[in-house]
Amino acid sequence: MSKIKVNCCGETCPIPLIETRKAIRKASPGDIIEVRGTHPASKKEIPMAVKALGLKLVDVKEEGGEWTIIIQK
Amino acid sequence: MFDEKMIYLDNASATRLDERVLEAMRPYFFDTYAVATSEFGYSQGIEAREALQKARETIASRLNAGPEEFVFTSGSTESSNMAIKGVMMALQKQNKNHLIVSKIEDFPILYSAKNLEKQGIKVTYLEVDKYGFVDLEQLKGSISKDTALISIQHANQEIGTVQNIEAISQICKEKKILFHTDATHTFTRLPIDVSKIPVDLISVAAHTLHGPKGIGGLYIRKGTPLTKWMDGGFQEFNRRAGLENIPGAIGFAKAVELVTAQENEQLISLRDHLISHILAEISQTTLNGHPERRTPQNANITFHFIEGESITLHLDMHGFAVSTGSACFSRSLEASHVILGIGGDHERAHGSIRFTLGRYNNLKEIDKLIETLKEIISELREISPLGKD
Repeated sequence: MSKIKVNCCGETCPIPLIETRKAIRKASPGDIIEVRGTHPASKKEIPMAVKALGLKLVDVKEEGGEWTIIIQK
Repeated sequence: MFDEKMIYLDNASATRLDERVLEAMRPYFFDTYAVATSEFGYSQGIEAREALQKARETIASRLNAGPEEFVFTSGSTESSNMAIKGVMMALQKQNKNHLIVSKIEDFPILYSAKNLEKQGIKVTYLEVDKYGFVDLEQLKGSISKDTALISIQHANQEIGTVQNIEAISQICKEKKILFHTDATHTFTRLPIDVSKIPVDLISVAAHTLHGPKGIGGLYIRKGTPLTKWMDGGFQEFNRRAGLENIPGAIGFAKAVELVTAQENEQLISLRDHLISHILAEISQTTLNGHPERRTPQNANITFHFIEGESITLHLDMHGFAVSTGSACFSRSLEASHVILGIGGDHERAHGSIRFTLGRYNNLKEIDKLIETLKEIISELREISPLGKD
């Protein structure tokens, strides 16, 4: 099991979702994907996509305008 | 997860190959793989030539054309380049240096026109109305003594609007101007009879008909001046140099044979079901293109206050393949020239989604799409920063 980090800080919609999808496609089952970003709408739509794909949303946190979403494939 | 039981609704971009097409092509990869040869060659080459000729006859007959009027190409991009550049080059010698196209043509036509402009050709880009129709009076008014060619698509690649090519071709005939139409999205889906419609050149392709990619063709009415622009051999009646793609041509012909009137009726029924339910059940939606005069397979809808890319991404994750009406899937933010051309603003252009149906779609899939869209659109509007005022 490995950890994949995706940095989308400064990127706006739909780039964070595209980058998250790219990471999910590359990941193996069980891998952890950590996505960091600043665009508020992406913070809400990435969990939507995770649910649609039937993956586990491990955590969503925000500090100082920067959010982190952790997903398990 | 991705690609599992994907419901494919992007049949204007490419279609799933029909197994019967693959079976028809197979012998021309493994048994009759020789180059098409004349009667002086060996038997396998003669067989290949005969098969190529039969394929040509099958496809040309769908246009009610003679086989000698149909040239195989690598697809509709090449066909349209061949038609536009070939005619303009041929007629430049007669000081005919004016080309007329519509603003919403597909890129092979638009970029051929732009390229010719750099070489001194005058180009008129016709406006279209809110449905995408060319104004026939404006078309007539744009014609000058220098006009060599008018190229107006049969149907639009994004919004599916079907132009009145019967009337346009009559105008061209009266004014003694050549007429080309791009029929990539209508060939076999809507009838074109060249014995009744005086069109001089028609671009077609197999990839939209459950045929193979990389094969298309150009109908060239007998006597049409056309400069050969790819040099080498003397294939395709000395119109196009290069070894013929025989398996592709066989596959194209088989794909043409397999399209039936019943299938087209089924596509219209699915299309109308999709359009009517989306417009009725999802608020703030606009149909792009004409409600009736559109291709059987096309539904293009703007979901206001949401970006098309977000919709395509979320639909992908729910197992649907659709395309955005805008060209900004990459990091550029260029809006669809078609939606802007019909008078839409950038917001409408960026929120448009093209659903294009094919042989393998059914009502259950369309109903599943409508339900999924209702959920996705509602959620995306909740988080969308657009239209909150």
